Amino acid sequence: MLHIIVCIKQVPMVSELPWDPRTGTLKRETAQGMMDPAARRALEAALQIKADRTSGPVSITAVSMGPPMAEEVLFEARALGADQGVLLTDPCMAGADTCMTAVILGKFIKNHCPDAGLILCGSMSSDSETAQVGPQLAEDLDIPAIGYARRLELVDGCIRVERHVDDFLELMEMDLPGLVTIDHAGESDRYTPRYVALGGVEAAFNKGGIQVMNSRALGLDHAFNALKHSPTKIMDVYSPVTEKKGRVLTGAVKKMVDTLFDDYGKIVSSAMGKDLKTHDHEEDV
Amino acid sequence: MDFNPGMKHQLIRKTVRDFAENEIRHRAAEMDKGPGFPQDLMEKMKPLHYFGLQTPTHLGGAGLDTISYTIVVEEISRVSAALGLCITVHNSVGIYPILRFGTREQQQQFVPPMAAGDSIGAFCLTEANAGSDAGGVETVARKTDNGFILNGTKIFVTNGGICGTILVFAVSDTAPAQSSVFIVENHTPGFSVGEIEDLCGMRANPVASLFFEDCRIPADHCLGKPGQGLKIGLAALDTGRIGVAAQALGIAQAAFEESLAYAKARQQFNQPISRFQTIQNYLADMALQIDASRLLVHRAAALKDKGQPFSAQAAMAKLHGSTTARKVTNLAVQIHGGYGYSKEYDVERYFRDAKVTEIYEGTNEIQRMVIARDLLTRPV
Repeated sequence: MLHIIVCIKQVPMVSELPWDPRTGTLKRETAQGMMDPAARRALEAALQIKADRTSGPVSITAVSMGPPMAEEVLFEARALGADQGVLLTDPCMAGADTCMTAVILGKFIKNHCPDAGLILCGSMSSDSETAQVGPQLAEDLDIPAIGYARRLELVDGCIRVERHVDDFLELMEMDLPGLVTIDHAGESDRYTPRYVALGGVEAAFNKGGIQVMNSRALGLDHAFNALKHSPTKIMDVYSPVTEKKGRVLTGAVKKMVDTLFDDYGKIVSSAMGKDLKTHDHEEDV
Repeated sequence: MDFNPGMKHQLIRKTVRDFAENEIRHRAAEMDKGPGFPQDLMEKMKPLHYFGLQTPTHLGGAGLDTISYTIVVEEISRVSAALGLCITVHNSVGIYPILRFGTREQQQQFVPPMAAGDSIGAFCLTEANAGSDAGGVETVARKTDNGFILNGTKIFVTNGGICGTILVFAVSDTAPAQSSVFIVENHTPGFSVGEIEDLCGMRANPVASLFFEDCRIPADHCLGKPGQGLKIGLAALDTGRIGVAAQALGIAQAAFEESLAYAKARQQFNQPISRFQTIQNYLADMALQIDASRLLVHRAAALKDKGQPFSAQAAMAKLHGSTTARKVTNLAVQIHGGYGYSKEYDVERYFRDAKVTEIYEGTNEIQRMVIARDLLTRPV
């Protein structure tokens, strides 16, 4: 039996992002949550492995660290086909940075899922985009990891992973247990998440509640404080201000072109990806 | 008493909205040029249980409670009322009567293909001389040695152009006061579909007349007992009204959302029109009526789920919901001004779609009769 753990984050729904322009922070108490799209693809990858008959028996555990309301994404994971959902929640976990999040997830996997064979994460979440939790979790568990995977395949007890990095297509093989983060592959995305079937939602709730674990159940030290122990300190969060200013160039055409090159050449060159000043104009002659 | 939706109902709403926004919204205006629904869209909806919302899982459905059902209908109708109509009629007055009054054999024969979406349900009561007056049905079922022979014409049948399993009301040739309901399959010899109606709204839904000429119906295709037609019809309509109320709610919600966004964006006299008190009053009235509609729909649904009487409450939900849809879509067009009268804007479609919710599944005049009858017969 292959036990797949899928780490799922609840993120604020982008379409309804209630942003406080005065404080420059997200009003989380009124933000509607949703399953992070990247985590959803990771779950889709797990579901496809499970559906593949050659994989043998597969069990999927969806785990999330977050506030109590994050239970919803675990019900959703169950509605999609995960076998179990586990919520790690405790006031002392609030304010965890990526490192502490990985420590908490790692504690759960080490203490409660010693049989975990494959751990799947989204490559990066839609709200903070750090891409750190996956690799940090692998480090914490002392297992190998591959990031930005586009395709997974179980082959003779190890996992074959395809990923696209720097215009190269890489094919890698990794022993299990191991961790893989799933990337978005554009239109050829193999792991475009399926829609939730309505019967799945009903069944997910009929199965009973989500397993909830606090810091004590996880075996965390009683003095554990994620905010205090997080090495990352956020100095400031603010909305970038963009200003659009128009400038009308006047005079003879040559003068205008010269001004354009002198004043904006660098910006145009960097946008086009080539140096305009040394650009060959032969075809114009 | 908790007015907050539970996690399950929230998730149902998100699930349906996700599908509706991504798969239906961009096609709704094109579908309105109708009739008919894109086959690939119907195929996508099938495995997601949209055609077996409250059908038990052992018959291939989702086994949803009624509140969930209303949320699904509201959310689909929020993007395409005509598709919401297809879903609600199929699930409520198509499948529900078979689940409630059908024999085990009838349920196993007819429900699974319906719940899978392979056979769309239709409900035929209305005729040229019968609508609000269900006693005016002239379609006749003549008893034979091994079944019945059906003759008659039904009009304004929702899903008529795509129906596979049809519930038909007919009176007995020997006792015209007795009506019965028959399950007719669309491949029955003598059955045919008339032209698709050219209607004001709900244009994607292929509403049509259905003809029954010497259709031979096996005896075991009579739903319930012969003579139970009125009882089955009223029970079907009670549950159907909850669906229509949810549908009207979805239309009103859509019109409100468009209006709110437009009022904030549209500039007149160098300011957004949402700054004007008249527009604010319109928006407040819309939100108020929509909220009240939703509470009435959910109350009727909750009563049904608890197995308590809900006939009057369903009538109230339908009456208030449809009136609200008509008023809100009218205000939505008004807020949009000339643009709202143009097909370029969705509120024009909502305005046309809303009206019929005051007419079908029992006109609003009939709903008042149902409510008044409940008031007057209640023990003091």
